[in-house]
Amino acid sequence: MASCGPAATEEPTVTDDLERQVSFSPPATRIFPLAPNVTEQIVAAGGADQLVAVSTADTYPPWVDELPRIGTLPLDFEALVAEEPDLVVANAEINPERDAETLDALGIPTLFLTYTTVADVPRTIRLLGTWLGTEAEADATADTLTAQFDAFRAAADTVKHRPRVLFLIGDETLYAYGAGSYVHELIAMAGGESITATLPAAAPVLSEEFVLTQRPDVIVGSFGEGYTTADLLAKHPTWDIVPAVRDGRVYSIDGALISRPGPRLLRGVQALRAAIHGDTLDVPLYLPHLP
Amino acid sequence: MIRPSVLAGGLVVALSVSLGMAVALGSTSVALGDVYHVLAYRLGWTSLGAPEGTVERIVWDLRLPRVLAAMLVGGGLSIIGVAMQTLVRNPLAEPYLLGISSGASAGASLFYLGFFPALVARTLSMPIAAFLGGLLAISIVYLVARDRSGLSVARLLLAGVAMSALMASITSFITLASPEPDKLRAILFWLLGSLSGMRWEMLIAPTLVTTFGLVVLIGLARPLDAMLVGEEPAQSLGVRVEWAKRALIGLAALVTGTLVAISGAIGFVGLIVPHAVRLLVGVPHRRLVPLSFLAGALFLVWADLVARSALPTELPVGVVTALCGVPFFLILLRQSAYRFG
Repeated sequence: MASCGPAATEEPTVTDDLERQVSFSPPATRIFPLAPNVTEQIVAAGGADQLVAVSTADTYPPWVDELPRIGTLPLDFEALVAEEPDLVVANAEINPERDAETLDALGIPTLFLTYTTVADVPRTIRLLGTWLGTEAEADATADTLTAQFDAFRAAADTVKHRPRVLFLIGDETLYAYGAGSYVHELIAMAGGESITATLPAAAPVLSEEFVLTQRPDVIVGSFGEGYTTADLLAKHPTWDIVPAVRDGRVYSIDGALISRPGPRLLRGVQALRAAIHGDTLDVPLYLPHLP
Repeated sequence: MIRPSVLAGGLVVALSVSLGMAVALGSTSVALGDVYHVLAYRLGWTSLGAPEGTVERIVWDLRLPRVLAAMLVGGGLSIIGVAMQTLVRNPLAEPYLLGISSGASAGASLFYLGFFPALVARTLSMPIAAFLGGLLAISIVYLVARDRSGLSVARLLLAGVAMSALMASITSFITLASPEPDKLRAILFWLLGSLSGMRWEMLIAPTLVTTFGLVVLIGLARPLDAMLVGEEPAQSLGVRVEWAKRALIGLAALVTGTLVAISGAIGFVGLIVPHAVRLLVGVPHRRLVPLSFLAGALFLVWADLVARSALPTELPVGVVTALCGVPFFLILLRQSAYRFG
């Protein structure tokens, strides 16, 4: 498509995951990630030194505290322009396209990444490698990650029984992941079956009725430390007959390991496996460049 | 005009049928037989064995409190609509439009987010905070709208709209400033209302207060009728008008505050329902108040049913009532010669 444009200004363009044609000539030297998972992906692709700032929501790797922080929801355009990035990378699930249009008008190329499957993690690490000029490192990381995810998949294929799993984002308003989310794939890799995989909305709010009739065997969520089955039962007293609640199988894990698609999804799968099957697999968790 | 007894009978039947339908419909499908088995079993009307646990919880612990809350809130807001319309002698008054609901929302959310200390139990403190917020809002609106020559309806409505905007901003501000993890949903709840997640124990205070309001307004039927004619005629008939006005404002803040504390601000119920009832049975309050209660209950049960089944995700019920109520309000506003009766 780019070649069809007027030949007079032959600017190099890059196509991002939203099929947007953006004028940008790699490699980028000053990069700003609009979402925390993009930071982790850039680091995994070998671009840690090119980060100029991170969003206020970033928490990982721990050394991001040494970088300037910029608010992203809503986006602080002034602070962003002041950092003079030559590339901004966004997560299509989180960042609005409107912000990208404003950035385009400011002459700052903005590229979107999408995350609907676990394979998008190694795929976008390779893509970032081409944008950052760190292809060799990014490809090596992507290969390693793919092999480790495959090891979990192979282990899941041998489980005799796949418990029905409900993953919740909150315990008060029952946000969950619906159709088109990679989270169901993580649950399958951990040897379970997600009960919200076919719900039409991307981020459905479940009714208490839904949980009562779907009868999950295990409930996992990011409920905070020290959370127990009794805490969930206190919020939803009618769930005493739900198998997960009845059997005390409610687990809280670090939500960032599930909700931020990046190399740490491996740790998320491991935490899910421990919750669902009570064992930890002998998969070496090598996360390149990440502590 | 139709006979009030016929209308009352019709409303009671419609309400019973609607209750039956509303508990039978929901996000999961439960066989009708199972629904009524649960109701009959819980009410002790059947010798059949205990129903299946899941169905029993869905019907008895989740759906029934929600439908009953819809009835209480719809009925309560409607009779307060009647009271406000009589107070200002204009059919355009309504707790939401006068800023009572958003004032109550601001009070309740201030408390909910821990800005007010819990004086007593939380279930009691929240309605008190909502009551105080609603009372503050309506008092300011009323004082702004009134002058020596009487009450200006244009000023009343404008002050009400401005107060609503102010109170909604306060609600949004404190919610966004709070550590509440789910800020946007909390704002939606307080500004547009929802009957989701209702439990039996949440119905106690609203039941008592709404019943109290209903009894008081029925008891005041004659003075209210006199006030509709005018303050001076009412005075000459022995009505203590100033006292009655204060009582109506206090009662409106009390009932609206208690209801908003469980449901958020749901608008326009108090506008549509009394108007429709008045068209059918006329203005006397001894008929208007109880019939508006029944009709309001019916209206909100259906509005809530639409809210939870129109889209795959649940709508705030205030969206449904505003979609019905605002066109209605505009038509009323257009009929400049509109008078009671």
